[in-house]
Amino acid sequence: MSRIPDRETALVDLVDRLLGGGVVIAGDITLSVADVDLVYVSLRALITSVATAEEKRLLPQMGSSL
Amino acid sequence: MIQLVAITDDQSAPAPPLRAVACDGLTAICAPVDEAPTDAESLWRHEELVESLMETRDLLPVRFGTLLPDDDAVAHAVRERVGQLAGQLERVRGAIEIAVRIRDRASSPLSGRGVTSGTDYMRLQAERVRSAQAIHDELSALARDSTILPGPELMRAAYLVDRCDVDELVACVRRLQGANADLDLICTGPWPPYSFAEAERS
Repeated sequence: MSRIPDRETALVDLVDRLLGGGVVIAGDITLSVADVDLVYVSLRALITSVATAEEKRLLPQMGSSL
Repeated sequence: MIQLVAITDDQSAPAPPLRAVACDGLTAICAPVDEAPTDAESLWRHEELVESLMETRDLLPVRFGTLLPDDDAVAHAVRERVGQLAGQLERVRGAIEIAVRIRDRASSPLSGRGVTSGTDYMRLQAERVRSAQAIHDELSALARDSTILPGPELMRAAYLVDRCDVDELVACVRRLQGANADLDLICTGPWPPYSFAEAERS
C-alpha cells in the first residue's frame, strides 16, 4: 500500500486524526484538555510554517508517492 | 502506565513494544509509556505503530493519549462497551482513510478576476464552494463513507475507502486536480480510519 507522502504536508491531517479522531474508550482516561492544549502549543509553530509553505506553494499539492 | 493504541479482533501478536490484551473476543493493543507525550515526533511514532498494525489487521485506532494504569484497567474499559466496539470495527473492516483538503491555489483567490462589486464577489465565492462540493461528491461516490472535518480550507474531508479502491480514488483526485487548476487538492494517506472510528459523529 502506498505511504503518507510528506510529513510536513501531512502534519495537519495527522493532528486532526490523532487529537480529534479515533475511538474514545472512556472520557476520563484520555488526555486532559490541558494536555491537548500543550500538544497544540508545541505543534502550533510547526503547523503555521506548513500552512505558510502551502500558501507559497513550496510543497507539492499532492504526495508524489500516493 | 500504558497507552491504548488500537482495538482489533485479529488474534496475532503485535511486534514489541506493542502487546495485546484480550477482552471478550476483541484485542486491545497497548504500548508502554512514561508520560503523556506532547510533541510532533511522538505523534508520528504513535502513528507509525498504528500503521504497522493496519498493514495486516482491521482495527479501530484509539484517540491519542488514552492512558491507563495496567492491563486490568484496559480490559475493564474495553469490556464495558465491547458490543459497540465490535460494531464500529465492522463499519471500517477492509477499509482505510484518505484525507483530502481543498484550498485556493492563489493566496487571494478573488483578486485579479475582475471582481468589482459585491455581486461579483458573491458569485465567485459561490463558484468556489460549488467546485469543492462537486469534488467531494465525486470522491464520496468512490468511498464507503465520507465526512467533512472543520478547517480553514474550502473543504477538509475524510473518505473511508475499501483497500482495493484506494488506487481508483487517488487517480480520481489526480484527475480532479487537473480539472481544477485554480484549486489545490492536498491528499494524504492511507490513514487508519480515525475519522470513522466513533459510532456517532457530528
